[in-house]
Amino acid sequence: MILIHCPYCDETLPELEFAYAGEAHIARPLDPSGLSDEDWERYLFIRANPRGRHNERWRHVHGCGRFFNAVRDTVTDKFELTYKAGEPRK
Amino acid sequence: MVDAALRTAPVPADPAVYDGVTITLGTPLERRSLRARDAKALGKLLGRKLPEQIGRSSEDVLCLGPDEWLLRAPAGTAVPDGAGLPLALVDISERALTLVLEGPRAIDVLQAGCPRDLRKLTVGEGRRTVFEGVEIVLLRTGEDRFEVDVWRSFASWLHLALTTAASHLR
Repeated sequence: MILIHCPYCDETLPELEFAYAGEAHIARPLDPSGLSDEDWERYLFIRANPRGRHNERWRHVHGCGRFFNAVRDTVTDKFELTYKAGEPRK
Repeated sequence: MVDAALRTAPVPADPAVYDGVTITLGTPLERRSLRARDAKALGKLLGRKLPEQIGRSSEDVLCLGPDEWLLRAPAGTAVPDGAGLPLALVDISERALTLVLEGPRAIDVLQAGCPRDLRKLTVGEGRRTVFEGVEIVLLRTGEDRFEVDVWRSFASWLHLALTTAASHLR
């Protein structure tokens, strides 16, 4: 079982307590009504989907309930590090 | 708590006794979900210092998250409602019920379905976690005594899962 470190609980815990929540650092448009269809498409659907190092959001859903960010390798499934939401990309 | 006395519990009232563990339905509790950015304001309202580290408890308040606490007190305890203050204090007394596991094998029964290493859970601590996919709040109230808060609608299934695990103890 994968063990994930929750930066809020400061504990390394089994993945069963966590939920994946998509790619991280996707900024919400500041002016939604001014967005073109192409920009909306990019914001809503277009993701980096890298092979390798991926910044992604996770939620400690059956624990402290907090969203946080993680860097995971999509090939090896290994977690490199996790950090609190709001912190810059690592 | 109005109809607590009239309500039928979804699990048997008689304790389930096994070799090394007894599973009992806990007494009804006053439960409050406490959310506040400012722990001090909440602590002042309740008249106690709130635990700041997740999992720690002080008196009857358990810290579940960075801005979330769970208050568990005997049924009928008066709790202020915090009207007008920038915090959320929600009565969830009826949402959950408590199953009490007592005995030297209680930890083995819980470990059968809980992915956490429960040996690391010290007496007086508590955590929100899962047991076989069901969300629970697990509190260690003694070396051989655990309290499991579970949502009422999951309780009969959880009781079945726990008693099944207990009946397989060797």
